[in-house]
Amino acid sequence: MKIKKNPERVDVVIVGAGAGGATAAKVLTEAGLRVVGLERGPWLKPEHASGDELKYLNRNFIWQDPKLKPRTYRQNDSEEAVVTNFSATPQVVGGGTTHWGGMVPRMTASDFKLRSLHGDVPGASLVDWPINYDELEPYYTRVEWEFGTSGLAGANPWEGRRSRGYPTKPSPLSQIGRTFATAMDKLGHNSFPMPQGMVTEPYRGRQPYSENGFWQQYPDPGTGKSSVLISFIPDAICTGLYDLRSDCYVHEVLVGPDGRATGVRYEDEEGNEWVQEANAVIVCAGGIETPRLLLMSKSALFPDGLANTSGQVGKNATFHQYSFSVGLFDRDLRDPLYGWSGHYMSGCSFDFYETDESRGHILGSLIFPSNIGHPVNWSFPGRPSWGLAAKDADRKLFNHTMKIGILLHDLPVESNRVDLDPTVKDAWGLPVARITHTPHSNDFAQEKWQVKKNGEILEAAGASKIVPVNMERITGNTSHELGTARMGDDPAASVVDRWCRAHDVPNLYVFDASFFPTATGINPALTIMANAWRCADRIIQVDARGWTAD
Amino acid sequence: MGQAEWVTVPIATRDVEGPIYLSQDEWDTVEAATARIIPTDHHPGAREARVVRFIDRMLAGTQFVFPAADGIGFLKMTGREEAAWAERIEARRELYRNGMLELDELAKVDFGARFISLSDEDQDKVLEKLSGQPKPEPFTFDAPEDDGRVGAPAGNQPVSEDFLSFFPLLVLNTRQGFYGDPVYGGNENRIGWAVIGFDGPATLKSTMDGSYTTLKYMIPEAHWPYERHPEVLRYRRP
Repeated sequence: MKIKKNPERVDVVIVGAGAGGATAAKVLTEAGLRVVGLERGPWLKPEHASGDELKYLNRNFIWQDPKLKPRTYRQNDSEEAVVTNFSATPQVVGGGTTHWGGMVPRMTASDFKLRSLHGDVPGASLVDWPINYDELEPYYTRVEWEFGTSGLAGANPWEGRRSRGYPTKPSPLSQIGRTFATAMDKLGHNSFPMPQGMVTEPYRGRQPYSENGFWQQYPDPGTGKSSVLISFIPDAICTGLYDLRSDCYVHEVLVGPDGRATGVRYEDEEGNEWVQEANAVIVCAGGIETPRLLLMSKSALFPDGLANTSGQVGKNATFHQYSFSVGLFDRDLRDPLYGWSGHYMSGCSFDFYETDESRGHILGSLIFPSNIGHPVNWSFPGRPSWGLAAKDADRKLFNHTMKIGILLHDLPVESNRVDLDPTVKDAWGLPVARITHTPHSNDFAQEKWQVKKNGEILEAAGASKIVPVNMERITGNTSHELGTARMGDDPAASVVDRWCRAHDVPNLYVFDASFFPTATGINPALTIMANAWRCADRIIQVDARGWTAD
Repeated sequence: MGQAEWVTVPIATRDVEGPIYLSQDEWDTVEAATARIIPTDHHPGAREARVVRFIDRMLAGTQFVFPAADGIGFLKMTGREEAAWAERIEARRELYRNGMLELDELAKVDFGARFISLSDEDQDKVLEKLSGQPKPEPFTFDAPEDDGRVGAPAGNQPVSEDFLSFFPLLVLNTRQGFYGDPVYGGNENRIGWAVIGFDGPATLKSTMDGSYTTLKYMIPEAHWPYERHPEVLRYRRP
């Protein structure tokens, strides 16, 4: 390892170039601040992408290779954690917005005040958000328009007040969407077009998605799918003030004797070690890697890890487990569903989102119909695995299957956490993240009820067989990693304040989903981006004024 | 050199027809086994799809792990990623080597001959024994829910095959060779897709330039509220 002359000090160094980091880079550089971005993964471009199922789904072209970047998991403290590929999420420039399905619903107003609504739920660490829907609304709108989205304002009766509609019309309806919408209508329920991170009309130089069907888990070779890779990152680079260095792995956030962050120490692709100094550090490495980095950043001043005086770093982890019911349709009775056409999902409903205690649980999730995979990975529980029986099942059912899924709105529990594994190291010799997690009893109740309900919808749609797929444990199968550096007003009970600034370190921020005080029952990326914009605005307007010139 | 800088090597899985890694004898055994996993009937099976070539190329080394995006050539892997894949492939080679020995061993014990010389029926019996479970029964809509041989779809996540033993690995690889993009050496003339009715892309490049689209299988004219839209209301009514 060589030590060379370190790069110049800048205003802000941002760890990670996903939804949170790229949004911050755009907002800060457009305001004239000099920013260095450090992303541990490669900078793959749209031209590296194509509709290749094996490459993306089976050979993990953009997911971390568990041989190099393992994680460990255990249910509780009495177990020995085992190596798993828990919560695989692309570690690349663009982060989760590269592989995602681009679901961008807004949080509902109630999501911000669950403690006020439900009180002290035994076994859970339920809190209110320190901000409310109206504070975030202007930023939701900005992101929807700057990032590029599609949807239909007003179609979701459960949504809060919005100041503006979507910039492009809803995405085209698939057969799965048709089936879902008509079944929901039959049952007296609302459904509406899924708000999507995609443009469906020519928009700001972008062309609509080709509808090649390779959507969920596939980066888009075109410009239809919205990702920070093709939006906020180019915006930031255009300012001339964003120096984004890919394949650069941050090992430690550094602090000075005054307790302020001074920068980060990182290793580049060739193994060279560098220190990047900055007036402020924003950590956006994801809800697992962010607490890992803070916990690895131990010093005399912060012996338990950085920004961890509260002891809350890594705790209250939630993961939005994805569960579903599969519907198998008889081809002699029903039209084909062609699940592989379109963009994985089509339509959604919030009718089960708000709490109805008569269901026997609190909270709820959005539900949405989707396909069950391209040919290689298409499957359902009970599918014959080999022989003529297997070939026959594939032939009869490949075009006659769909599922309706939920994103578990899981309750935060303090003992559910991310910390450093005491023995397992990654390929760089650093301790890996260890996940300790047991779902709350309300999680199981909610999940069971909704999966059953989704089965009833499939039945109304005419499915001849319903197969529920329930969780046994949390596997991190949504790549949503939340709550591990929670936002709150009380420094004793939270890691960052209402501006996502560390209570302990006045120039250290966390802008990824680690800040979520509670999980919500929707996909987090839109909220990550809106919140990052809100907090970056605060840096520009207030915090940066205190920084001395470099 | 990071993953984004990997160069494309102008090689194809079809540059030669026969084995690159397997011996001819091993090739024949793997081909026979895959032909029982996806048998030929009134539609082509694993044999016609050249699944054995897919498996041979998978085992041949890191040169055939990732095709270039447009399907012309393969990416030259480097660094830690390449080393991790070399290790992974080595583990699979060993599983296949031992697995083929076991197939012949089981065949000799029960039928007194090598696996490849058995009848279809006897090969099935050997595979059944190797799998440790009864041969899968045909799917029916009214079968009980716990009758399955395999679990839930991957749903939302990449699939790991690092922890599989030989038989489930062989089954999965057969499926991959039958249904994966032809660029990997199987799914010859896209016959795997034709069998199940997947109107997939003619080339990987056609998924990049917008020339391949599934729009004709959708209902793009419909707008919300969908359930009231004439295109939906009259959809394929008898």
